[in-house]
Amino acid sequence: MDDDLLPLLQLCDSNLPNGAFSHSFGLETYIQEEKVIDKSTFAEWIRVYIEEQLVYTDGLVFRLVYDALAREQWDEVWTWDRMITVQNFSQEAREGNVRMGQRLVQLGLELYDSPALAAYQDRVKAQRSFGHPAIAFAIITQHLHIPLPIALLSFLYSSTASLIQNGVRGIPLGQTDGQRLIQEAQIPLRQAAKRIEELDKNQFGITSPGLELSQMRHERLHIRLFMS
Amino acid sequence: MDNWTGVLRLAVQRKQERTIPSEVYNQGAYKITPPVYLDDSGQPCFYMMNLGGGYVDGDKYKAEIVLGEHAHMLLTTQSSTKIYKTLKVPVTQQTDIQMASGSYLEFVSDPIIAYRHARYLQETVVHMAQGSTLVYGEIITPGWSPDGQLFQYSRLQLKTIIYMEDELVVFDHLRLCPEERPIDGLGLLEGYTHLGSLLVVGELATPDIFETLSAAFGSAVSPCRIGLSALAGSGFSLRVLAASTMQIETVFEQCRLMVREQLLGKKPISFRKY
Repeated sequence: MDDDLLPLLQLCDSNLPNGAFSHSFGLETYIQEEKVIDKSTFAEWIRVYIEEQLVYTDGLVFRLVYDALAREQWDEVWTWDRMITVQNFSQEAREGNVRMGQRLVQLGLELYDSPALAAYQDRVKAQRSFGHPAIAFAIITQHLHIPLPIALLSFLYSSTASLIQNGVRGIPLGQTDGQRLIQEAQIPLRQAAKRIEELDKNQFGITSPGLELSQMRHERLHIRLFMS
Repeated sequence: MDNWTGVLRLAVQRKQERTIPSEVYNQGAYKITPPVYLDDSGQPCFYMMNLGGGYVDGDKYKAEIVLGEHAHMLLTTQSSTKIYKTLKVPVTQQTDIQMASGSYLEFVSDPIIAYRHARYLQETVVHMAQGSTLVYGEIITPGWSPDGQLFQYSRLQLKTIIYMEDELVVFDHLRLCPEERPIDGLGLLEGYTHLGSLLVVGELATPDIFETLSAAFGSAVSPCRIGLSALAGSGFSLRVLAASTMQIETVFEQCRLMVREQLLGKKPISFRKY
C-alpha cells in the first residue's frame, strides 16, 4: 500500500492540472435556476450525480477498461472510448470530457512510461479515439498496479471532490462546508464503488434525464463561470 | 428463429418520384399497413400495428425496415404501445433499420404506456449509409394504473444504437425503474411525468438547422423543459420533460416542421391518426 499511496495522492490532488476546475457538468444550470442554493441542496445533487452519472457511465467504464487492460485487450478500451463519448448527448459535457481526457493522457505520459497511454494518445492524435478522463485514469492506475477497488474509489473520489470544489465557488459555499460535503460523500462513494463492481456491461450508459437536460441547457446560459 | 410473437419486415425502394414497398412480410401478431400517401411528395407513411392491442408477459416482437437508395418514408405506430402486467419475462421489442445512401426515414412512435408491474425492453439498431437522414422519436408516459397513481410500472428500458457506415455514432440508454427507486426527483424526471426524445442524425442535419432550432426553443415560452445539443457525429438530439404527451408532441412537431422544411423543402405531414 505504501508504494501505491503517494502516486494516488498525486493523481487525486485537486492541483492536478486536468482541467476539472473549468467544468461543472450541468451543476451551473441548477445553480442559476436556484435549484442548488445551499449545502443541503448541493449534497442532494452530489448524491444523484454519484449514483447516476458516476455509477452507470464514468465509473462503470473505468472498471471495464481496467479489466480489459489487465487482460491486454486494448481494442475493448478503444471501443469504450467511443461508447462513452457518443452516449453523451450534451456537446459541452462531451467536449469537456474529451479535453480533460487528453490533458490527463498528456500529463500521465510526462510522469509514467505506459505503453497503453502512449497508444491512446497516438489514437487521439490520429482522430481514431476521443479521450476521456475515466479511461486515462484507469490506464495510469492499472500501469501502477494499484488494485482495482482502490483505483476505482480514488477515481470516483477525485471526480466528486473537484465538482464539490467547483460548487463551493459557484454557489458559493464556505470552504468548511465544502470539506464537510467531501467527507459526507464518503458513504455514497463507497456504495457506488460496490454497485459498480456488481454491474453488467449491458447496464452501461443509463442516462439521467434531468442531469443530461441541465448539461444541454448550460449551452444557453448567458453568464457562465464554467465551460460545461 | 426463436419464438417471436410477431415479426415484420418492410423494404422500400425509390421508383422515380415515389417510394414504394418492395417487400412486406408479417408474421404473428404484428402487422404493417399498406403505404398511405398523405400528400403529393411521393413519400409513403406506414403504420405498425400490434394485433393483440398490447404487449403481455414474454412477448417478443421484431421489426426489420430497409430503405433503398433515395427512398423516403414515414413510419409510426397505429396507437400507443401498451405494456400490460409482465411478471415473468419482460416484453421485448427489437427493431433493425438499414438505410441506404440518400434515404430519409422519419420514425416517430406513439407514446409508451406501461401498466402496473410492466417490464419492457426495447432495442433499436440503425445502420445508416453516408448521405441518409434519420428522424427518430419516442415518448415515455408515467403509465397507467387503476387507482390513477403514476409510475406503477416496474421497468422500462430503451436502447438506441446508430451506426454511420459501420461506425458507432449514437448510443442512447434510457432506463426508468420505479421498482428500484423513485424516478421523479432531482436529476431524473425533476417533477415532470413525461419524457420525450427526438434524434436527427445524418450529415444533412447541419449546424444551421441546429442553430435555427436552438434559437427557436431558446426564446420560446414552453411548459416543458427542453434540451437540444449537437451529437458527436452529424446531427443533434432533443430531449423534453413535460407534463403530458401532447406537450411533447407539440415540441416534436415544431422540430419536425423545421427539419422537413430545411432538409427536404417539404411541408410537415400530420400522421392523421386522431
